[in-house]
Amino acid sequence: MTMTSSTAQVRAFGTVALFVLGLVVGSVAHQIVDRGPGESPYPALPKTNEPAAAHDVVQAIANDDAASLSKMLAAEQLTDLSTALQPIIDVRGTKFVGAVESEGRLLSAYLVTGKTSEGSDFIVGFVLRVANDQVVGVN
Amino acid sequence: MGTRALTGSAGVVLVGTLIGFFLASAVGIAVQDSGVLGGNGESPVARAYMLGLLQRDPSSISSIRPQQGIAQRAAELQGASSRSSSATQPLSLTYLGGGSAGPLTVSIYAVGVRTSSGTDQFFPLALTIAGGKVVRSE
Repeated sequence: MTMTSSTAQVRAFGTVALFVLGLVVGSVAHQIVDRGPGESPYPALPKTNEPAAAHDVVQAIANDDAASLSKMLAAEQLTDLSTALQPIIDVRGTKFVGAVESEGRLLSAYLVTGKTSEGSDFIVGFVLRVANDQVVGVN
Repeated sequence: MGTRALTGSAGVVLVGTLIGFFLASAVGIAVQDSGVLGGNGESPVARAYMLGLLQRDPSSISSIRPQQGIAQRAAELQGASSRSSSATQPLSLTYLGGGSAGPLTVSIYAVGVRTSSGTDQFFPLALTIAGGKVVRSE
């Protein structure tokens, strides 16, 4: 009886050990196969802080404040913003992800999560172009 | 009996290997997206797409885009060869950031290029990735 119990314990331990060995082999295999992003031959620009003008625009979007937004952006920019947010019609969240500057031109990037007209969750990215402390474009 | 035990052991190792592979993949994606452990959250698919775009090499990114028709692919190659003769020079490629919601991942880049006329242009590009392919670029 003790002999049988001991054999069963050894078998169970062996099975678990083999499974753990498999997990390790699988993880190592993934590390070999997954090489990550390739090196970029082009230099990356240093990140800057979020421009205040862009922050105000995104705050208005997050607050669903159309009145404020209408005062901050020109008609053409509002059309571009509408295109950039498609297919989201109900904004649930906004997030600043980064900004860079090149020769006085600032690009400030955001993620927007929300619902489509069918009620599905969606995520889009858009960028505000800022110059002289003003939003001058939407991409 | 011996053969059965051997097959069973190999099966356990195989199942463990598969689970280990997928777990490592899932953990890797989560870590990459969150940007912890020094990673910036940049997707390899997005990086490959941007490099193919800047190097004007549509064939290198054909596998990470939705399938296109023969005429569309031919027109793209035509456009790439005319663009390469106009010699636009990439100056910088900056990953601004990104995030995920469900099966969708968004990666945003800032690109600097110098046109053949010597003018510097600085513009953003937001990529949406689903199922390992770039499904939207704007």
